Amino acid sequence: MQKMSDDNALPLARFTILEVNDTNVPLCLRLATSLAAKIAADLGASVLKIEPPGGDPVRRTPPFLPQGESALFQFLNTSKRSLVLDLASDAGHSALRDLLGKADAVLFEEPAASASLLRTARATPIEIAAFPVEMNAASRPVSEFAILALGGLLHMVGEPARKPLRLGGHQASYAAGLTAFTGLAAALAARDAGQTAPDVRVSLAEVMQWVNWKAVSGADASGVSPGREGGNSEFQIVPCRDGHVAVVYTVTQWPATRALIGDPRLADAKFNTRAGRRQNIAELYEIITPWFADKTRAEIQQTAQAKGVPFGPIFSPTELLQTEQYVARDFLADMAHPTQGTLRLPQLPVQWNGRSFAPRPAPELPVSELAA
Amino acid sequence: MKALADVRVLDFGLLTAGANTSAMLADLGADVIKIESGAYLDPFRVVGKPDNNDGWWNRSPQFRFTNRNKRGVALNLKAPEGQRVIRELAAHCDVVVENFRRGVLDRAGLGYKDLSAANPRLVFAAISSQGDTGPERMNVSFGSTLDATSGIASLTGYEGEEPRISGMDVNYPDQIVSLFATGIVITAVMEARRTGRGAFLDFSQREVASFTLGEEILAASADPARATGRCGNRAEGIAQQDAYRCKDGRWIAVTLDRPDDTLEAFCAGLGSTAAVTSLLARGIAAAPCNDGNDLLHNTALQGVTLVRDERGGLVKGLPYRLGGKGISIERPGPDLGQHTREVLRELLGYDDAQLKKLAEAGVTSTAPTIGEI
Repeated sequence: MQKMSDDNALPLARFTILEVNDTNVPLCLRLATSLAAKIAADLGASVLKIEPPGGDPVRRTPPFLPQGESALFQFLNTSKRSLVLDLASDAGHSALRDLLGKADAVLFEEPAASASLLRTARATPIEIAAFPVEMNAASRPVSEFAILALGGLLHMVGEPARKPLRLGGHQASYAAGLTAFTGLAAALAARDAGQTAPDVRVSLAEVMQWVNWKAVSGADASGVSPGREGGNSEFQIVPCRDGHVAVVYTVTQWPATRALIGDPRLADAKFNTRAGRRQNIAELYEIITPWFADKTRAEIQQTAQAKGVPFGPIFSPTELLQTEQYVARDFLADMAHPTQGTLRLPQLPVQWNGRSFAPRPAPELPVSELAA
Repeated sequence: MKALADVRVLDFGLLTAGANTSAMLADLGADVIKIESGAYLDPFRVVGKPDNNDGWWNRSPQFRFTNRNKRGVALNLKAPEGQRVIRELAAHCDVVVENFRRGVLDRAGLGYKDLSAANPRLVFAAISSQGDTGPERMNVSFGSTLDATSGIASLTGYEGEEPRISGMDVNYPDQIVSLFATGIVITAVMEARRTGRGAFLDFSQREVASFTLGEEILAASADPARATGRCGNRAEGIAQQDAYRCKDGRWIAVTLDRPDDTLEAFCAGLGSTAAVTSLLARGIAAAPCNDGNDLLHNTALQGVTLVRDERGGLVKGLPYRLGGKGISIERPGPDLGQHTREVLRELLGYDDAQLKKLAEAGVTSTAPTIGEI
């Protein structure tokens, strides 16, 4: 039988993980590394973040909290400890070597000067890069935006005759961060089972293509690549009384959608098939758009869901703080921060036997250790 | 030996969110048994229907892209006899992955309570639109519904214009959930190996999508008046960033540390390849705006993300490289019910007479029973 205390132990509590933040690393790689390590830390792993003198540059990256700290840094570094090491110095290098001997895994970025040491450590290396090995492009300038373009996701959003658009947020870095976490979990599972763990290499460019696989699958099947359809798409954004709603439905949900809008003109046979609706898309939206105008997002969602139609009301981050579903599930945690007051932020998006994983505040910059 | 070589997965995963989570477990060596039935196919078999000829349900590119390296079993979830067989299979499995609407498996007597009673080591990954609890738990969504409700759409769009979704050819929120859920399932498998106890893992796809806006939600909570919205391709803290059209008509993406108001004219005067090369040489992050055909032909850029199955079909590879390598495809995506007999023989010891009886009763199948599509 398990002891009571085991019931409260966090699942990764027996693992020690290093996150090495070397200097001169593109910010978009750091965000991925830090997200992966944060997930492990929230799950109970002992994560030590090695920061360069002056701290991780993400500490000085927006968005900022009103008191001046970086919200980005706070989100990405919950539940970690931090140690400042000058890896260019012999003392710093030697301290890192000692720490590596005691860790299960180490996360770092490809262009880091310490990468060659970290790749051969006893701790399993989890390496974050911008590009696939095959491109041989470790020093090529990179940004998240360039990765979205290379991976083809940029091509998918916006109007066909206008410039392509990025998705909001740090999607290129965070998709890679989630991937690195899964790679880390696989490595820890192998170590735990007494096997040799595979080293893991995650490149942002590969993750973006993998996420955007339907563009490749579509091009392979028909010779024509899918692309941004804007106003030609069957799914569009329409204004309503208090904001906007995304019109979304599957092929089988069209009859329910037609019944929901209730306009007799939609009974015309030309709207019966997906091809027909796409050919007559401007007319279709002329008919359905007025239905939304006098209704609120809440009314639309409720009425549509009652008929099994998955319309999506559009919410801003501020509005999400009040979302009934998120409040009911305690998805947003209140975290008492020593200098920034109470901060509310998303917890890990999983409940494990009904349990959430409350994050602890990100580490302060240990000024006293700057000279280490 | 692969990390999950001793793990067997009962896979009810459909489309991307569920089916890809179990595909990623297969990539790590798990034996993944995909359960469908003639009465309820993975919708990817239908969405990707290539023609009306016999066997169309086995030829969907989207299905084959996602379900490689799995075995396929067709058992009718609605028939009591099908439910009984699935319960027997679950006793031989370590993990269940499902993304049905909430309540579907419970009603069939195949929910976590039922299956874990017989197999307490079971890790049960329930992936749903809104999660297993809360007032919206029964809400339906499809791909881009969650671009809207997660907050991503509110931050996507041309400057000052209406919000945008990723759309049906991307369905972005569906794509990222497996990248996270797989790691959590592996973590729970480790715990089950150590403690002998499994877990019920409740994933909300909407929460996964909102989680990717963590710093935005945090900043909004500290300052509800914080201005957010659509700003095209600009990003906070970056001097200049946008897509620019080149002389050959192609768009390129450029990110600058210092503003440069000559960039638009510079790009318009050069072909896209020359413009990217020149910008990179100046230390500026730049890239061509690739489409699906560009990705299909650029093998260096593909890395390990694409691979061909034994029939020569292009399928999903890995999002990461493990031990320096990608994967090889040991099995193409299964035909409907292709491995029903093999799996029921191997795991449950069924004989020909039992298998024949199940087939005659319509419990097992190899063709859809849903009529015209």
